[in-house]
Amino acid sequence: MSYGFSLIAENAPLLLIGLRATLLLAAVTLVASTVIGVLLGTLATVKARWVRMLVALYVEVLRDIPLIVTIFTIFFGAPFLGVPLEPFPAVALGLSLWGGANGAEIVRGGIQSVPKGQREAATALGLRAWKIYLLILWPQALRAVLPAYTGLLALIVQSTSLGALVGVTEFLKAGGLIIERSTVMQGINPAFEIYAFVLLVYFGVCSVLTALSRRLERRLGRASAGIVRTPDAASL
Amino acid sequence: MDFELDYLLRQLPALRAGILLTIQVSAIAMVLSIAIGLVGASMRVLRVPVLSQLFAGYVEFIRNTPLLVQLFFVFFGLPAIGLTLSLFWSGVLALTLWAGAFQTENVRGGLSAIASGLREAARALGLTRGQYLRLVGLPLAVRTGLPAILNTCVSLVKNSAYVSAIGLQDLAGVAFDRIASDFRAFEMLAVLLVGYLALVLSLSAAVRALEHRLQAPFRA
Repeated sequence: MSYGFSLIAENAPLLLIGLRATLLLAAVTLVASTVIGVLLGTLATVKARWVRMLVALYVEVLRDIPLIVTIFTIFFGAPFLGVPLEPFPAVALGLSLWGGANGAEIVRGGIQSVPKGQREAATALGLRAWKIYLLILWPQALRAVLPAYTGLLALIVQSTSLGALVGVTEFLKAGGLIIERSTVMQGINPAFEIYAFVLLVYFGVCSVLTALSRRLERRLGRASAGIVRTPDAASL
Repeated sequence: MDFELDYLLRQLPALRAGILLTIQVSAIAMVLSIAIGLVGASMRVLRVPVLSQLFAGYVEFIRNTPLLVQLFFVFFGLPAIGLTLSLFWSGVLALTLWAGAFQTENVRGGLSAIASGLREAARALGLTRGQYLRLVGLPLAVRTGLPAILNTCVSLVKNSAYVSAIGLQDLAGVAFDRIASDFRAFEMLAVLLVGYLALVLSLSAAVRALEHRLQAPFRA
């Protein structure tokens, strides 16, 4: 127990490298998920039935398969398709496909939470479909999706830990390396202290995001309640 | 590389054992986590000092930390301070603690949805708070909270794949092992996709059917 703090202090540089990789991975995933999410979430609200069904199929599959399987599929499957991926891009891709599915659900809910009359009025004014989305629906949906989206970001941060399994030196892996190193070099096993510390840091980052999500929910009113569900960790 | 059905057929016994382990781990964790949920939600609703706050903290902690790190903490961290569990039980414990937090919230949601008149009636009849929970509150809460409770169970089955990360030979574990040893990515990845989709979709279909049945008395 007593060596826990000094061990963490000694290895601060490695932990910071890990934390940086975690945050970078989360940032990349957030951007890519948003692109996929806005695209698919919008397509989920168009008239053509087959388009909506294809989007629903994508969302369902990506959310039903364990994320660990999605990431392993991409990491181990890519070389067999002749495009070997480094661990970082493989994990980023897997997380983004999954995050995009969750993002699409949120965006779809956001667009559907905009009162129907808005779309009808815009159509009556002769606006083209893309202008209706750009000027009328997206801006109003933004308000409704913000709380849920912040919640999704907390889930993305959590799920970046899966990178440790395919060799990305993110925060969890950094912790694992410290444990290995101290076991080999000093003959001690600090797994309890290090993993407790890792848990606490994740808790710190994610509970800030969760608190922000709840605050936004209160601040932005209940306009979106019941329509845009904040994904919880159970949907990981 | 071609898809070889022969190879896949030869792996069937191992995969079957994997699926059975997936079901076993999930089933045990399911039962235990619902037990945690019933106890946790009762403590929260009865505002039992200390325990109520402990459960609130537990729920927040689990929700805001990655399941994978929780699993590593249980499997690698606890033995370091002398609490050694087998591989199997480490996996079950981590999944139970994880799902238990969500079940606590689910049951609590069910409890708070009960009309306050019922609680007042129970008190008027002279039931203690414990009796109210046991005889009135929890049975109703489990029923109203059932969709959420069962959804968490479905997530639990899906997320049981995480136990492959500590070396348990569940469905994911067996498939990942075969990819690493036999370089049979296509066959095994196909098995994983089909296997988990089948597990999750059939469970969710069962959940929806059950919900439909439970709604029967309230339909016109």
